[in-house]
Amino acid sequence: MIETPGLMPTEDLFPIFVNAMFTKNFLLIMFLGLCSYVGLTTNSETSKGMSMAVTFVMTMSAILTWPIYHYLLSPASIIGKDLTFLRTICFILIIASFVQLVEFIIRRFSPPLYKSLGIYLPLIATNCAVLGVVLMNIQEGFTYGASIIYAFAAGLGYSWVMLATAAVREKLIMRGVDLFSGFIGAFFAATMVALIVVSYFSVVKL
Amino acid sequence: MAKKSFVGEIIRGIIKDNPVFVLVLGLCPVLAVSTSFANALGMALAFTFVMLGSNIFVSLLRKQIPPGVRIPIFILIICTFVTMVDMILEAFLPPMYEALGIFVPLIVVNCIVIGRAEAYANRNPVLPSIADGIGISIGFAVALMLIGSIREILGTGGLKLVMLWSEAGKLGFYPLSSIPGFSFVPEVISFPIEPAIVMVTPPGAFLTIAALMLLFKIMSDRKRMKQLKKEGYEI
Amino acid sequence: MTVDLMSLLPPAIAVLGALGLAMAGMLVWASKAFYVETDPLVDALMELMPGANCGACGYPGCADFAEHVVAGDITPDLCTSCDAETFEMIGELLGMDISAAEPMYPVTICQGGKNCKDRYDYIGADTCKAAILLSGTKKACSYGCIGLGDCVRACMFDAIEIADNGLPKIKKYNCKGCGACVTACPQDVLTIAKEHGPVYVVCASHDKGKYVKEVCEFGCIGCGICKKKCPEGAIKLDKALAVIDQEKCNQCGTCIEVCPRNAIVKL
Repeated sequence: MIETPGLMPTEDLFPIFVNAMFTKNFLLIMFLGLCSYVGLTTNSETSKGMSMAVTFVMTMSAILTWPIYHYLLSPASIIGKDLTFLRTICFILIIASFVQLVEFIIRRFSPPLYKSLGIYLPLIATNCAVLGVVLMNIQEGFTYGASIIYAFAAGLGYSWVMLATAAVREKLIMRGVDLFSGFIGAFFAATMVALIVVSYFSVVKL
Repeated sequence: MAKKSFVGEIIRGIIKDNPVFVLVLGLCPVLAVSTSFANALGMALAFTFVMLGSNIFVSLLRKQIPPGVRIPIFILIICTFVTMVDMILEAFLPPMYEALGIFVPLIVVNCIVIGRAEAYANRNPVLPSIADGIGISIGFAVALMLIGSIREILGTGGLKLVMLWSEAGKLGFYPLSSIPGFSFVPEVISFPIEPAIVMVTPPGAFLTIAALMLLFKIMSDRKRMKQLKKEGYEI
Repeated sequence: MTVDLMSLLPPAIAVLGALGLAMAGMLVWASKAFYVETDPLVDALMELMPGANCGACGYPGCADFAEHVVAGDITPDLCTSCDAETFEMIGELLGMDISAAEPMYPVTICQGGKNCKDRYDYIGADTCKAAILLSGTKKACSYGCIGLGDCVRACMFDAIEIADNGLPKIKKYNCKGCGACVTACPQDVLTIAKEHGPVYVVCASHDKGKYVKEVCEFGCIGCGICKKKCPEGAIKLDKALAVIDQEKCNQCGTCIEVCPRNAIVKL
C-alpha cells in the first residue's frame, strides 16, 4: 500500500533548498527552461521580469498540483485507483489554466505590472522548468511543505542564473564582444557559469 | 500552395529547418540526455513517436479544431502521445526509462512538437505532415546523436554504438557488435585521446552545442555572403 | 500484474473531465470578471505587425503603435519596418490605401574615421556616449564620428557595422530604415535619407577651416565656393560649415564638382 506523504515537511529542508538552488540547478545542471534562458538573457530588465514570473508560477503550481496528485490520482487517494498515468496531462492543464488566470487578473488590476510581467506569462505555460519542478516533486516523494520549498528554491535558482548571465552578457555586448550577442554567446556564457557551479560544489561538499 | 515532394519535405526538416541548430528549439532534452550515444538514440526514438503521432492527428483534425482554442487542443493531443510513450518505455525498456527520467513527460512542452503542429500540421494535409514529422524527427535525432557522440568520445575516449534490438525475446538497447550482421563493429570504438571528464558534465553540453552552432553559423553565413554577392550587393 | 482496464476507465474519465470542466469554468468566469476591453481590430493589426518593437514610429512597441493607428491618431505608413506586402495587408484590413514609402537609409555625415587624427589613445568603455564624456571625443574633430559603434548596437536588424575606415557602413540588404541608429548617435552624424538623389555635405564640423585642414583629409573648411556656384542658392554657410537646403536643391551636382575638399556627395 502506497502512503500519501504528509503535509508538514519531515525532510531536512536545507539540503533540498541548496540542491534546488545550486547543485541541481534547473538551468545549468538539469537543463530545464533553456529557451527563455537563451532568448531573454541579453537584457537584465527582461531577465528580471521573467525570473520573477517563473518563481511565482513555479511556487504556485507546486501548491496546486501536489493535492491534485495525492488526493485524486495516486492509488492511495480517495478514488483508490491508480490514475498516475494522467499526471502529465493534469499538470499541464492546471499550470496553463493558472497562468491564464494570473494574466487575466494582473491585466485587469495592474496594467503597469502587465506591461512589465504579462508578456512573459504566455511563455511560462510551456516552460519546461515549471512542469519539471512539479514532476520532480512527485518523483522525489516530497511532503507538501517540502515540495513548496523545493519549487521556490528552484525558482530562486533559475533567477540567479538568469540574472548572473544577463549581467555578464549585457556587459560583454556593450563592450562589443560579438561572440556573446547571439544564441552562441548564450551557450558560451552558460558554459562558464555552469563550470563555476559544478567546480565549486565538487570541491565544497555539502 | 505548390505541391511538394514527400522526400523534399523530409530533407527540408533535416537541413534547412533543423530544429536544433537552425530553429534553436527544444534544447532542454538535447542537452540533458546527450551524455552518450545510447541515451541520445532512446530520446530520439521517443521524440519521433510523439512528433509523428501529433502531426498526424493535428493534421487529420485540422478542419475540426476551432482556431481560438487550438493551442490547448494541440497540447492535449501531444500529451496523449507523450503519456503513451512514457508507459511504453516503462513497460518494455526500464533502463532507458530510468536514464531519460522526467525528460520523457517533458516532451509535452517541447517547443518543436507544438511549433510544428501550429506552423505545419495545422495547415497541411496528412501526407506532407507525416513527411514533415519524419524530417524534423530525423533532424532532431541527428543533432542529438551528434552531440551525444561528441560528448561521449571526448569525455570517455570511446564510443559505444547501440541499436534497439530484441534479443531472446527481450527488447532493449544492445551494443551493435552483438547484433547479427554487425559483428565487425568493435564493442567500444576507442579514440586515442585523453578523456576530458568535463565533457560529460553539464558545462560540456553547453560547450559542445555552442561550438556546433558556431560551426553552423559560419557555414550558413558564408553561403549567404556568396548569394548576396551574386545579387550584386557590396559586402 | 493485470489491470482491469474497464474499472480504470470511469474514474479516469471522471477525474480528467471534472478537472477540465473546473478549469474551463474558472477561465470563462475569469475572462468575464476581469474583462478588459480591447479592440478586435487592434489584435488583428498586431498579427500583421513585424513585432520588432523597434520604436521607429515613436511609440514604445508595435502594440502601442497598433492602438494609435486604429484610434486614427496616426497613419500606418509611419512604420518603417513593414515591407510593401505587409502594408498591402494592413491597408486591406483597415480599408485604406497605403503605399510603402520609398526606402530610406541612414547616411553618415562625416568622412573622418581613419582620415581624422586622434587626439589621444582612448582606453575606456567602448561606447560613443562614454567617450564623449571624456573631454570631448578622442578624435581631433569634436563634431565627427567617434566610431565606437553606438549605432551598431542600436540596430535591431544587423544592418550597420563599423567598417575598416572607422566609419559606420550600412548593409542595405538588412536595413529597414527605422532610424534607431540615428537616434542612438550622440554626435548626430547619422541622418536618414532617400536611397538615390539627395546631395549632402558629408561633414559635421563647425571648426575653422585651418584647423579642419590640419586634422582631417576631407572636412568642410567653410570656403563658400559651393555657395557662390550653386545656381539655386540652396547652400548656406553655418559657422564654417556648408549646409544644403534640401527643399531648394535640384540635385544638379555643381557643388560636388567645385568643392576643393570633396566634402559634398550625391547619394
